Amino acid sequence: MNKKRDRLGVIFGILNYINLQHNSVKPTPLLRHSGLSSSSFTEYYQELIGKGFIKEIIDKNGKYATLTDKGFKYLEKYKTILGFIQEFEL
Amino acid sequence: MFPHHVVDLLDLSSDLIFTVTTVIFCFLIYLKTRESYELTKYKGIKYFRDAFLFFGISYVLRFLFSLTLLSRVTNELLLPKGLVMLLSIILLGYFSTMGIVYLIFSFIWKKFDNKKLEIFGHGIAIALSIVALFTASHLMLISLQIILLGIALILGFTTKLKVGKMSPTKGLYFLIIALWFINLIITSERLFTWETEVFFQITSIVVFAIIYHKISKLI
Repeated sequence: MNKKRDRLGVIFGILNYINLQHNSVKPTPLLRHSGLSSSSFTEYYQELIGKGFIKEIIDKNGKYATLTDKGFKYLEKYKTILGFIQEFEL
Repeated sequence: MFPHHVVDLLDLSSDLIFTVTTVIFCFLIYLKTRESYELTKYKGIKYFRDAFLFFGISYVLRFLFSLTLLSRVTNELLLPKGLVMLLSIILLGYFSTMGIVYLIFSFIWKKFDNKKLEIFGHGIAIALSIVALFTASHLMLISLQIILLGIALILGFTTKLKVGKMSPTKGLYFLIIALWFINLIITSERLFTWETEVFFQITSIVVFAIIYHKISKLI
């Protein structure tokens, strides 16, 4: 992933990867895929949990991240919001 | 030419229709962009939608001010003239400056520290209101806002800020601000004929409608 992505792109990348992994992925492969440093990834990861985009499920095999309804909504709206931002040069 | 009392009535009716339509568009823009902001917390969207909220409030205040000026003519004024003038200068000064400043911030915010930028915005709005208050003049307020816009344009296009070329979108932003100046002048000074005032009001509505239409198509 491109390191110069902005915040919205980073969040989209994380959420989209979870979605592509059938809405269940362990934090380590998610970190690897995000292309972020460990500390930066932890910040984003905690922020996404805090804002209700993802939730953690813990079972006998460990921790998994899954998308919430709000996370799916972000994925669905991302491209239209990006179009709006570009059109109005925000 | 219409008789004076007919002009007042026409003025009031057209101004009421204009204000209601403009305020509806401003609040529609604000509401339409709410979900996009709540999902992303993107600063550019925040400044953009808040700018329209501030312009909506400013247009309501402008109409109330215009109403008190007209009711003074017909001896229906309940509040002292001086108090109305001072209140309108303070409130109009603050909210309209915030509208202008936030519209400019919506496309330059990436170049600055955002917490400082917001404080700076409120600071400018309060400072302009206070200066206008001491001079007790709406024209002073407009002059200060024009100077502010001029400085923003000069900084934006000639310095390292490099906000980019004048695009159709920035043209719309510029029109919103310019038409605000004209509409405020119309309220405080009788410089134009009724027909000219209506022309500017219709132009303002068209600009707000274009922006709302563009947003509706996108989100």
